[in-house]
Amino acid sequence: MKKELATFIVNGVSHDVVITSNMTLVELLRDELNLTGARESCGDGDCGCCTVLIDGKPTLACLTLAVTVKRKNILTIEGLAEGENLHPLQKSFVEHGALQCGYCTPGMILSAKFLLDENPNPKREEVKKGLGGNLCRCTGYNKIIKAVLSVGGGGK
Amino acid sequence: MFRRLRNFDYQEAETVDEAVGILYSCGGKAAVLAGGVGLIGDMKRGSKSPEVVVSIKKISDLDYIAKNESDFLRIGALTSIRTAELSPIIRAGYPALFDAVSQIASVQVKTMSTLVGNLCVATPASDIAPPLAALGAQLIISGPGKTRYVPLEHFYLGVGKTVLEPGELVTEVLVPSVLPGTHSAFLKIARTRADIAKVNVAVTIRVVDGICQEARIVLGSVAPTVVRAKTAESLILSNRLESKVIEKAAQAAAQEVRPITDIRSTEEYRKQMVAVLVRRALEKCCKNSGEVNTV
Repeated sequence: MKKELATFIVNGVSHDVVITSNMTLVELLRDELNLTGARESCGDGDCGCCTVLIDGKPTLACLTLAVTVKRKNILTIEGLAEGENLHPLQKSFVEHGALQCGYCTPGMILSAKFLLDENPNPKREEVKKGLGGNLCRCTGYNKIIKAVLSVGGGGK
Repeated sequence: MFRRLRNFDYQEAETVDEAVGILYSCGGKAAVLAGGVGLIGDMKRGSKSPEVVVSIKKISDLDYIAKNESDFLRIGALTSIRTAELSPIIRAGYPALFDAVSQIASVQVKTMSTLVGNLCVATPASDIAPPLAALGAQLIISGPGKTRYVPLEHFYLGVGKTVLEPGELVTEVLVPSVLPGTHSAFLKIARTRADIAKVNVAVTIRVVDGICQEARIVLGSVAPTVVRAKTAESLILSNRLESKVIEKAAQAAAQEVRPITDIRSTEEYRKQMVAVLVRRALEKCCKNSGEVNTV
């Protein structure tokens, strides 16, 4: 099997990793870089647990070949906080109790980040649509939507 | 599906000619990678196991939505569904296509997936094929030494099967100019808005002086490919779109399809919903055209 040494820029840090062509991005992040925020849950693009931002765009890491994102800017949940300072979305999720088991949370927050990047003051319906590709099986969605709205200011 | 992908050889093409060359030399053992949502999912399930995966992501100038000098709409092979959703050209001029792309799937899937990729996966449940077929779209296909144009409605041979030969690559969707008096609509029934359609319907009609001069009714999820309801079309052509006429056409459409029963729906329900959706889509077109739809 052909192997190659490839460079990945994850959360602003450059990593050189030996990869094979059949490695998915979620395998690269979890197994090679030990970044376990992105999860492979359904593995089929339905649940959004593996969502990361590539050059700012929400991408399903379980359906992305690692070899296709060499040298692109990959943002995972681990790169969102600045040191000890949580990102406003992270703070808001904590304050609103918008998580229970936490499994879906990294994907939820990254999808919400993309939504707010494009639309800083979304309406409730827009938040629902923006998070439609992320499934939560614990809390229901009300607290998550409130958490996003309170950051965006659309709920005020 | 925690399945590792089987091994394959990965190649990147930087031009259409290069992609065609690689695909041709692989003689059917290669798959094209654009957005990857369809292909990688199929490879995980094992329903596809190409020996070579040819990425076309690096080909420049395939990501565009534009009008040509003849007012034809051109959509490049690397244009994402989300780009289409956000396009003012599509929103203003192609309401049926806009309705389809705005409700399909999630933001992530729309951002990754290409419109042409959705067409090439050849699922009969595509939400994008019916509105484009109803608009009379053609595909521009580059192959070794030649380029050909195939009407979208003749592109499909069966579930997952198209007329594409080894070495051929769809590079563009071309939609003819929309003549005055044209109205189109897209409707879908699914469990949730973003889910796969149980039945979908796209209709394009052209009405001149109250008479229907052109009609295309395209149905999805009710046959191995998207299909035109030609009997239904013939019933409204050269007619005024009165309620009686619309109802007759809707019933005819339901008789023309041969849906299956599966986890999403039953044959009987799908047939009934074809009639409902065709009626509603025609009514929507009439409403937009300002035609009186007398009871």
